[in-house]
Amino acid sequence: MKMKKKLSENILDKFSIDFLRNQVLKNAYGNDDTVIARLDPRILLVWYLIFGLVPWFVNNLWFLMGCFLLVLVTTVLARVAGLVLLLFAVGVFTQTGYLLVVSFLFGGDASTIVPLLILTLKVATCSLASVTVFSGLDPDRLSNGLMWYGCPERLSFSISYAYRILPMLMEEFQNILLSFRMRGNPPAHERFWGKVQYLFYQVKVVMHAFYPLMLNTAKRSRTTVEALEIKGYRYAAVNKAVKKMKLAALKVTYNDLLFLAISFLWIAISILLSTLF
Amino acid sequence: MELSKKQTATQSQKLMVFVLTMALYGLATLFTELIPSFQAGIVEFSVEYFLFIPLTLAMLFDPLSVALGAATGELVFSEIMLGQFGGLGELEKFLTVTIGVYVAGRMVKNPKNYKMVGIAAITGTALQLLMGTIVDILKVQFAVEDFEAVAGLPESVFATEGFAFLNDLLFSGILFCLLPTLFLVPKLYGKIEPLLGMRPRDKKTWLGGINAKVVIGCIVAFAVAAGAELLATSGTPLIEWEAGWAESGTALAIGLVVAAVIAVAAIVALKVKAEKKQAEEQ
Repeated sequence: MKMKKKLSENILDKFSIDFLRNQVLKNAYGNDDTVIARLDPRILLVWYLIFGLVPWFVNNLWFLMGCFLLVLVTTVLARVAGLVLLLFAVGVFTQTGYLLVVSFLFGGDASTIVPLLILTLKVATCSLASVTVFSGLDPDRLSNGLMWYGCPERLSFSISYAYRILPMLMEEFQNILLSFRMRGNPPAHERFWGKVQYLFYQVKVVMHAFYPLMLNTAKRSRTTVEALEIKGYRYAAVNKAVKKMKLAALKVTYNDLLFLAISFLWIAISILLSTLF
Repeated sequence: MELSKKQTATQSQKLMVFVLTMALYGLATLFTELIPSFQAGIVEFSVEYFLFIPLTLAMLFDPLSVALGAATGELVFSEIMLGQFGGLGELEKFLTVTIGVYVAGRMVKNPKNYKMVGIAAITGTALQLLMGTIVDILKVQFAVEDFEAVAGLPESVFATEGFAFLNDLLFSGILFCLLPTLFLVPKLYGKIEPLLGMRPRDKKTWLGGINAKVVIGCIVAFAVAAGAELLATSGTPLIEWEAGWAESGTALAIGLVVAAVIAVAAIVALKVKAEKKQAEEQ
């Protein structure tokens, strides 16, 4: 009993807002020295496009397995934060594992497994490719890469802004929640009914916390936009000369080409395998 | 001149609204992505839905900026930041959120009218969920080959998706969309607008109700969303194309492998050469 309590405390300790913030920040800025992070964002986006789309069009098990192994290796190389990988695993299971269980309920048998395995491999390959590219890259490099391909300036602005504003917003949200906790009077939650009441109380506090947060964020976004206006943001966003200056730092090196060529080699081998078997 | 214009927000105010919604809704969706859901019996309890934030803001500010801001916030914070970007398929989520929020925002004329705020909130939520459900069903039908042939799969997909829709609407929809919106809209009305330098929404600054143009726009957007999602998952002609090419045999595959090996070798050689040159120069 004591051990159980300790364990649940331990898990709750780990799953605080601080922990979430650290994981997200680590994911964004913590790994800019990996092999993947040093590649050119444009090349990586092309690579992602291939591995995000091609698996959906192929139904060969060997080929899909090959793609899956390749993106698995790149994910390990990108040193993605643990939380993201956990989310990935849960996501894949809920998308297909759940379906498998339910189809058994409706009278499916072992023949259901192969199509679902193919579906799982497709989903897993695409998600891991996106984890590699979008978690492995620095947000600024990522938004530059997207801008080079002509994505709207709003999107790359949003990405850069999001990574900078998020830690502040999380801290503010936590402070508001703490002040609610300090002043509030939560219902006793020893019995079952009390626990239910406590849960509803918690949900209510989260909802109420958004009221001050909305007002604060409104002030902050006005300041942001006014600061942007001073720098002439809305004119710079559509100006070609500004864009050229911004993107001048991007450079394709031999490492990028090598990365593409090795991926191509691996895929060619898996195509060879798929024709042999 | 200014008075005759219905649209009262300036460009920079629209940007403010966009940034505000993006930051808030992005933060909320990040939490929902991270907090695990738990199941009690067959009813799934999850904090899946923080849609009340864009719904509230859409009823107070320019609905289009709010809708686009919410969709972008979700995309950037919960998909790209956590590396869960699903490619073309994300377009579906982006557009359905935009439509749901925009329609709800257009429906409200007087934010102090509780009844209308409630109807708009639940309509926006239901619209978004319903579109998601339709696309999900179509998606599984196209992704799995011989959909009808797999025993028990069609019924299970309809059952799980239909149930998920009702569950989301009745649980998350009421608890996390309707009630908070009813609480927040009248409370924020008149308080949050001056912070952005705007006038509260009234008869003069209202954009006008839902007309044929809005409906047609929404239908077109939904068609694009469904098309994008299906394109991302099916690609029937390409499967046929692939089948013909795979049959042509091992020779082609060996050719590909050889070409890849040559490419890798050539790039390595070039790289070594370049590094040598650099070392000599130093």
